[in-house]
Amino acid sequence: MSDFIARRPIWSLVILLLLGFLLLLVFTVWTPGMEAMFGRKRVFLSALFNGITLGALYFLVASGFTLIFGLMRNVNLAHGSLYLFGGYVGYSVASLTGSWLIALIAAFVIVALAGILMQVLLFRWMEGQDLRQTLVTIGVSIIAADLLLWSYGGDTFQVTTPEWLSGPVQLPFVVGLRSNGDAIMMTYPLVRIAILIGAIILGVAMWLALNRTRVGMLVRAGVDDRDMLSATGVRVQLVFVMVFAFGAGLAGLAGVVGGTFQSLQPGEDTKILLSSLVVVIVGGMGSIPGAAMGALIVGLAEQFGSVYMPTYAVMLTFIIMVAVLAVRPQGLAAVRR
Amino acid sequence: MAIADPRPVIDVPRPRESLSELLARQGTGFWVVVVLLLVMPALANPFWLVQIVAYAMILGMIALSLMFLGGYGGIVSLVQMTVAAFAAYLVAILGDSAITQISMKWPWWMAVPVAVVLATAFGTLSGALSVRTEGIYTIMITLAIASAFYYLCLQNYTIFNGFSGFNGVLPPVFLGVNWGESIPFYYLALVCTALSYWAVVYCARAPFGLALQGTRDNPRRMAALGFDVVAHRIAAYAFASVIAAFAGVLLVWYQRQVSPGTAGIGPVVDILIIAVVGGLSRPIGPFVGALVYVVLRTFSLDLLTAAGLDGRRYQLVIGAGFLAIVLFSPDGLVGIWQRLRERHRRSREAKAAEMRIGGGEP
Amino acid sequence: MSALPTRDGLAAAGSANALELRGVSRLFGALAALSDITLSVRPGERRAVLGSNGAGKTTLFNCITGDFAPSSGVIRFFGEDVTAFPPQERIRRGLRRTYQISSLFTGLSVIDNVYLACRGVSRNRFSLRRPRRDDTLSHAAQSLVDAVHLTAVKDRLVGELAYGQQRQLEIALALSGAPRFILFDEPAAGLSPTERRDLVHILTSLPAHIGYIIIEHDMDVALRVVESVTMMHNGRIFKEGPPAEIESDPEVQELYLGGAHG
Repeated sequence: MSDFIARRPIWSLVILLLLGFLLLLVFTVWTPGMEAMFGRKRVFLSALFNGITLGALYFLVASGFTLIFGLMRNVNLAHGSLYLFGGYVGYSVASLTGSWLIALIAAFVIVALAGILMQVLLFRWMEGQDLRQTLVTIGVSIIAADLLLWSYGGDTFQVTTPEWLSGPVQLPFVVGLRSNGDAIMMTYPLVRIAILIGAIILGVAMWLALNRTRVGMLVRAGVDDRDMLSATGVRVQLVFVMVFAFGAGLAGLAGVVGGTFQSLQPGEDTKILLSSLVVVIVGGMGSIPGAAMGALIVGLAEQFGSVYMPTYAVMLTFIIMVAVLAVRPQGLAAVRR
Repeated sequence: MAIADPRPVIDVPRPRESLSELLARQGTGFWVVVVLLLVMPALANPFWLVQIVAYAMILGMIALSLMFLGGYGGIVSLVQMTVAAFAAYLVAILGDSAITQISMKWPWWMAVPVAVVLATAFGTLSGALSVRTEGIYTIMITLAIASAFYYLCLQNYTIFNGFSGFNGVLPPVFLGVNWGESIPFYYLALVCTALSYWAVVYCARAPFGLALQGTRDNPRRMAALGFDVVAHRIAAYAFASVIAAFAGVLLVWYQRQVSPGTAGIGPVVDILIIAVVGGLSRPIGPFVGALVYVVLRTFSLDLLTAAGLDGRRYQLVIGAGFLAIVLFSPDGLVGIWQRLRERHRRSREAKAAEMRIGGGEP
Repeated sequence: MSALPTRDGLAAAGSANALELRGVSRLFGALAALSDITLSVRPGERRAVLGSNGAGKTTLFNCITGDFAPSSGVIRFFGEDVTAFPPQERIRRGLRRTYQISSLFTGLSVIDNVYLACRGVSRNRFSLRRPRRDDTLSHAAQSLVDAVHLTAVKDRLVGELAYGQQRQLEIALALSGAPRFILFDEPAAGLSPTERRDLVHILTSLPAHIGYIIIEHDMDVALRVVESVTMMHNGRIFKEGPPAEIESDPEVQELYLGGAHG
């Protein structure tokens, strides 16, 4: 980051100013003048936090997607199907066992297994044929979508929030003032905060794993130069399977999370896939920090868009994507080669 | 970047031929198909003529647009259906429809050219956005653009009329003929198909098409020969978008309506499936794929129940078929056909050689 | 090698060097593939760049053609600063290059490959119209194919050619249009003795105004076709001079000639 600031002093200043303005908006009490301009502060804070937590969900999905692409050059368009599959599995397990945590773990494990099967049975035989792999993922996603429709039908499902995560929690942000001068503090669903914290922990853990462990080093080396990786004598196929399994498991886990604070129904697979695409286009493919950045931007854009300009919310996200493509096509976080 | 490795088979180079020379070169298969297409109205009922063959030709044109970019340019673009849908919407918006508060009631000979030009511009811009990144990103970026367009159509009511879209979009009456009737519409679709097919075949061997294939095979070398690879790819998008735009006009006249569903992710991916299943190596591929797709889709309920399966599992069949093609015959049905023909030819040659050598029982 | 009326045929400005590099460096992370390279080649001069593997010779070529920009330094081509130009701009000004590993269009025929090369440096690259029978570029392509003795296989797909024939085609591509300066990257690699003799003949019979730099491990070929030699080692130039001098230099013999034959 320090060399980013060194290389682009003007942009750094702009970003700093924007952040400062944002903090100002969040922490001060809004005057009636501000409320006339920006709308109610509660609405603003709500959109802000919904955007951040939505970004957390997108990060979970997109990081698996970007990891799979970064290492294996495989644009896994079945990633959305893995998400939905994990969500449905989590729902079923939660209904059976009554435990949200077990559902989370089960979804991760089962979808990771599906990922192992996909890598070993299908992609392993198409090394280097990037386009063909992508076409296979499209075929798999079509089949998976229909099988899921067959099994779970067209109804909407929601994974019940566990007891210990239910209910609102008070956040230290002032929403407004009562007539007697007392501050009204913001309340926000605990489960969303928990998911945000979980995503951050997971992100940090992934970063540590990639940068501080031997396996992580192998993965990073492979992302940089796949041929070099096989030249080191490492069992490349094993690394591929592990990474695909992890990425898939992450998608499945995200499915349970999304099923908890959003919902599960046919078509969610396509929606989450498309959001992931925009996230990695904006953030840069193959980069976990990029996925985090992109997820935050897309989550905020979607939420603010749907609150402040509902008819054109999608266009906002799209315009951001187009802007990134036009100005810095490799994504915001990508290293320029 | 080609699928798997099979290189598209390129015909031996020939300088510009006169029409008679070109026709003389074609084999019997070509003539059988041409005659069949020309006399089909006498053989088939309107349902088959329009719902199956004409519709297949329209979808085939859009898939041809994808094949041109994919087979000759190594670019897999999912935005072709979007270009067609945009042209379809423009015809409805600029021309006449039942949504009188939006439609501008331009005569068709004004609405159609403007629609084609604007849709082509859209396709070219999309291309410009996606060509500066590595090849595999193109699928992602074009898919994202396609989905953005879908949501725009769905959510915008002032121009695109949102969820309902436009209905009552009728083909024009021109030169005393109602081009919406079955037989005239069939011939209209046939002429457009023939023109776009011929345009692709011709341009593939022109310097433009040749250079495009060069950028597919070895972009670095092309730059080292003096070509601007990015400019070439964008130009290829423009060429492909023209074909898709015309197909979009035919599409809205066929359906008599256009709605967000026309531009949805389902149809967008379907075009890719059609092109790949048909075969990305020859221009006839997309049309073969389109015919198979339309027949399957129309008769899927009957076919599935006849096979003892749940009649609603159409998508499963399509997905499985697509997967099978990608796994076992990446150059599609056309590729299978070529390999069979090659094997037949070789076994015939082998037999002939044996008889010459052995002079007796094979 | 007909001189076609293209942009490449512009007269060189006065006494400008054909190729001039000043202070050119190229870093890959911490690795300095090229360090402070300064050299100049006169128009029509024939030079060899020699050095052991990893000396930076191919990186040098990549910088000159514009595959990537140098980390620092200036590159001038016939007096014009081309440091920031993309490859196609340099090619259109008369630079050409062959590759160590044949970089051809395997899905196209021999004549199509050469035709493309001729097209690339002409106007009208986007032409949608097929060429007429008497098209000048088609003729130019045909004569190039003849010049490198590939007439018999001109319609064959490049992917089906023998290795030696592919190398000949590489040279034909470099001779397309009106080249002013060519970079030959190990043109003799993998060729039989007869083919090497052919190669020497082609190189020595090029028109006098076309200069070139040749990277080569085969000293017999290299020293016979050039008038000056640049020795590279670890990304730096460490000696320059005429072939005879270089061949007999004790430092060169110790560092390079001792094990690099063939």
